[in-house]
Amino acid sequence: MTLLQSLKNFVRSRSIHVSYVDVGSCNGCDIEVLACLSPRYDIEQYGIYVHNNPREADILLVIGAYTPGWEGKLATLWEKIPEPKAAIAIGNCPISGCLFNRPHTYVDPPVAKHIPIAAEVPGCPPRPTEILAAVLAVAPIVFRDFEVKR
Amino acid sequence: MKKTVDVSIPLGPIHPCFKEPARIKCQTSGERVLSAEMELGYMKKGIERIMKGRPWQEVMFLAERVCGICSVIHNMVFIEALEKISVIDVPERAALLRVIVNELDRMQSHTLANFSYCYTIEHETLGMYLLDVREKVMDLLELITGARVTCAYMVPGGVRFDLRPEDARRLSAGIDRIESDVTRFMKMFEGGPLIATRSRGVGILTREVAIEAHTVGPTARGSGMPEIDLRLRHPTYQALGFSPEYREEGDNYARIMVRFQEILQSVRLIRQCLDRLVPGPIRGGGIPGAGEIAYSGEAPRGELTYFLKTDAAGRVLDISIQTPSIMNIEACCHYLIVGATSLADVTSTFVSVDPCIACTER
Repeated sequence: MTLLQSLKNFVRSRSIHVSYVDVGSCNGCDIEVLACLSPRYDIEQYGIYVHNNPREADILLVIGAYTPGWEGKLATLWEKIPEPKAAIAIGNCPISGCLFNRPHTYVDPPVAKHIPIAAEVPGCPPRPTEILAAVLAVAPIVFRDFEVKR
Repeated sequence: MKKTVDVSIPLGPIHPCFKEPARIKCQTSGERVLSAEMELGYMKKGIERIMKGRPWQEVMFLAERVCGICSVIHNMVFIEALEKISVIDVPERAALLRVIVNELDRMQSHTLANFSYCYTIEHETLGMYLLDVREKVMDLLELITGARVTCAYMVPGGVRFDLRPEDARRLSAGIDRIESDVTRFMKMFEGGPLIATRSRGVGILTREVAIEAHTVGPTARGSGMPEIDLRLRHPTYQALGFSPEYREEGDNYARIMVRFQEILQSVRLIRQCLDRLVPGPIRGGGIPGAGEIAYSGEAPRGELTYFLKTDAAGRVLDISIQTPSIMNIEACCHYLIVGATSLADVTSTFVSVDPCIACTER
């Protein structure tokens, strides 16, 4: 890896763009991600910018227990994110299905069956600080050995 | 004007302004919207089917996860339906504590709805102020129930935890601070020239149309229908002398202002409850039994109904949930968005009715 590339990786790991997708949750985790934007937690002071365009994102936050409506769509969305990328599962739902994973349910957890998951934040719902800590822990790993393929 | 469809524009399912996945298909002529259609089905989890055949002890936790924003009212309506079935009395202190927690939940839901609206019309400063107020409300909710979102505070015959005197003092100080903050932000919203341009006269819903479209909650109260508030029929609210807030304009501005007024009203209700709180038991006895009932309560978004059938062991044989958002979303698509002069108004009007897709699809 060239010096320029490693410098680029270092800088980019301190300026992360996050996109989030809800694949069938109860809204609780959604709102806790939204609470990270609030002045109390202030996600932007860590260089994390939340917006909903997967083509500009580095990290995808996956929320929810994967309903049949997302069949194929989540994989397409994952392909739209440029390299390097990582997905973080927020809450119990994408990990195990939480209490939606019972007989007669429509959901199909875990989300790791459909896209690769880099980190998991358990909790129903997790606190905003835990979400923040997970994103900050994953960020340096995403860019560590990245090289532009020519 | 010749009404021909130029282009059909889909908004969503992933959209920066929507908190949850939903798609609006707009048939447009130029920038004018001729008709709109809602496409749902990204969040269907089948929670009613999961609930059937399970004991009430499990269903009360499932009922909370129908909606993560207004989880307290789902818990409250389910538990009160059980109490109505098996004639369980609630001690007075517990009834007042239920009202306190329910109003705190309403406050955080309304601040979130107003944040979303301010964020959508690009007034991010006011949005962030409101999100900060919401964190203060969440602190108070955590102080009483021990959890931020899924509290499970109410149980048949009472509530789970008592309110200690020192916590009551902190709650009282907290709501004073929130009241002064919200009053300030409400004035900002009332007087902001940018907000007036984007909100006044946009998405008008007259009282006649509101009745015809079966709108509920703040959407209906923004169109001059105070009688729609189901808290008028709740015995504890009746004892507190509750009278609903409403406005006559029926536009986006009125819907947001009704929510601001209701936050301040919730503060007054909590203060009244704290004044009336006398030491006493927080849990009466009682075991849920067999029966069948349709019971409604006022959720932050409107009328929430549980149709419930249980057997002698307290198992839920049949359950059906009717949530408020579906009526408001349909009214929004068929009456509010149609005729909008710009696509930017479509998102802001849709957000102003406070849609909750997780509730709608369950």
